[in-house]
Amino acid sequence: MAVTAAEAGFDLTLSDEQELAQRAARDFASEKVLPLAAEIDEQGKIPPALLAEMGALGFMGAYVPERYGGSGLDTVSYILIVEEINRACASTGVVLSSHLSLAIEPILEYGTVAQKEHFLPAMARGERIGCFALSEPASGSDAAAMRTSARRDGDSWVLNGTKNFITNGSLSDVAVVFAQTDPAKRHKGIAAFIVEKGTAGFSVGKLEKKLGIRGSDTAQLIFADCRVPAANLLGEVGDGFKIALSTLDGGRISIAAQAVGIARACLEDSLGYAKEREAFGKKIAEFQAIQWMLADMATEIDAARLLTWRAASLKDAGQDHILAAAEAKLFASDVAVKAARDCVQIFGGYGYLKDFPAERHYRDAKITEIYEGTSEIMKLVIAEEILKE
Amino acid sequence: MKILIPLKQVPDSTVRVKVAPDGKRIAADGITWSISPYDEYAIEMALERKDSDPSTIVAVVTVGPARSRDALRQALAMGCDEASLVLAEEEVAPLAVARALAKVVQDAKPDLVLCGKQASDDDQGFVGPALAEVLGWAHVSTITKVVVSEGAAELWREVEGGHEVWKATLPALATVHKSEKEPRYPSLPGIMKAKKKEIPERPFASLGIDANAPKLEIVSLEPPPARGGGKILKDGDAKALAERLATSLRDEAKVL
Repeated sequence: MAVTAAEAGFDLTLSDEQELAQRAARDFASEKVLPLAAEIDEQGKIPPALLAEMGALGFMGAYVPERYGGSGLDTVSYILIVEEINRACASTGVVLSSHLSLAIEPILEYGTVAQKEHFLPAMARGERIGCFALSEPASGSDAAAMRTSARRDGDSWVLNGTKNFITNGSLSDVAVVFAQTDPAKRHKGIAAFIVEKGTAGFSVGKLEKKLGIRGSDTAQLIFADCRVPAANLLGEVGDGFKIALSTLDGGRISIAAQAVGIARACLEDSLGYAKEREAFGKKIAEFQAIQWMLADMATEIDAARLLTWRAASLKDAGQDHILAAAEAKLFASDVAVKAARDCVQIFGGYGYLKDFPAERHYRDAKITEIYEGTSEIMKLVIAEEILKE
Repeated sequence: MKILIPLKQVPDSTVRVKVAPDGKRIAADGITWSISPYDEYAIEMALERKDSDPSTIVAVVTVGPARSRDALRQALAMGCDEASLVLAEEEVAPLAVARALAKVVQDAKPDLVLCGKQASDDDQGFVGPALAEVLGWAHVSTITKVVVSEGAAELWREVEGGHEVWKATLPALATVHKSEKEPRYPSLPGIMKAKKKEIPERPFASLGIDANAPKLEIVSLEPPPARGGGKILKDGDAKALAERLATSLRDEAKVL
């Protein structure tokens, strides 16, 4: 009797639900998102109706448990959805990833039951969008150097400071904000707060103009004597740094999936073009120079996807996924940038024009090497993990 | 009320179909399978009725191999309440499919059966009307809208320059041309609900129907001929070009 892969303890087969989720997301992405992708990039804005539809389909709360109003799927299903949405439009993809992996995730992981019941159902339905406010004008990778302060005053915390590069910043109704309660304690003084839009003293500053993912809004958030109820403290005072880092560990898996989605867009668009375009009397797909680029893309995308799936399945199993997530993000983002470069090259002069999707992929891919931990930070994380024994 | 939709799993419309080496069937390797598009319209039409009256029960059934469970699961994920499978690994003749479905209908006792007007694989459009005949039910084909009231259904058909409205006493069968809205996507909560549902199955062989009667055999399948290159007429004034075009259309393309 042949032993199946599953019996051998190594199985890459998706479950029925995972396949159905992937298919629903693929159909939705190709029919509803892809036709809008160029316009979303051009206008710098995602139609609210599109996000509402993603909410109605359960994407915005894909892995939130059903008891908190979510869809109750696993991280692997979520990762499959993220790849499909990003294959169509990276701007739309990052709204989903930031909302779910960075804003919902810490509330789900560190929130009290009351906080979860209060915030999660509307967020899981996509009726309230979330953001994650950690970076500041003078602190990105060095998050512990943040200057935003939180001072306890009676039943409230008073927040002062400015956050920068906040994805979904202006779109959001709920922000998870990190602030320093005691600068002398450095990272041990950091606390996390859930701050709602409309709270006095909380405002959105300038919107950034970006190279890529132009449809996703990146805003400055300003806190000026912003009074947050003590009940909105997430975890304990001093837990903030741990919450931020563990959230980013998980978030990296969805950025890896985003990179896989962008790289797949590059490959699929390149394949389509190479089979149509002729030069020197034959299709350019018949030239080995093009074939090698396509073969590299296909191989690297598969490898990146496997790393991403492994990280997601470790997270589902409740196992340590810090190393796996960092490796997946480091590798997948590199694959996306290279695939985008080759995609533009295969399209040649047309790759440089806005009339074709190649230049958008080229601009969109780059961010995956920067946000939620740069590639250099990924290498630090990986080195620390493999050297710590 | 209860609406039953017999559906068929077919190669997805994005699949480039290839003929198998025996020249009598399509090669099944690597095919993505889907619910036939007109069946999806029938499901959407039934679910729209359920949206306005949540007491409506929408059931789906298919006669097919084990892989067609995926299509039933997808229909459940779209929001259907029940699904069942008549398992037949071998090809079943169209009239035998209708006879098998009639047994399912007799057990399930739906008020209305909605079929896609034809399956997108063989496009015969046979099973729906044949099922109505076997059951002895009223049948209206290629509808675009259904309005149910008091034991009867108004069935709308698009015709040249307008539409016809037929009225049928229930139970009745209609084949669906299109629903008012595009078929919905399965939602993630729908997928999780579908996961928890049983899909009962019964073997085709247990129904006492001859799968090959009347026997139909595909003698041969072949792909359409490859398209030749186009021809561009250049050089010459409009009159000369028009003459050459007319000659080409008559003598070469033989369309004039």
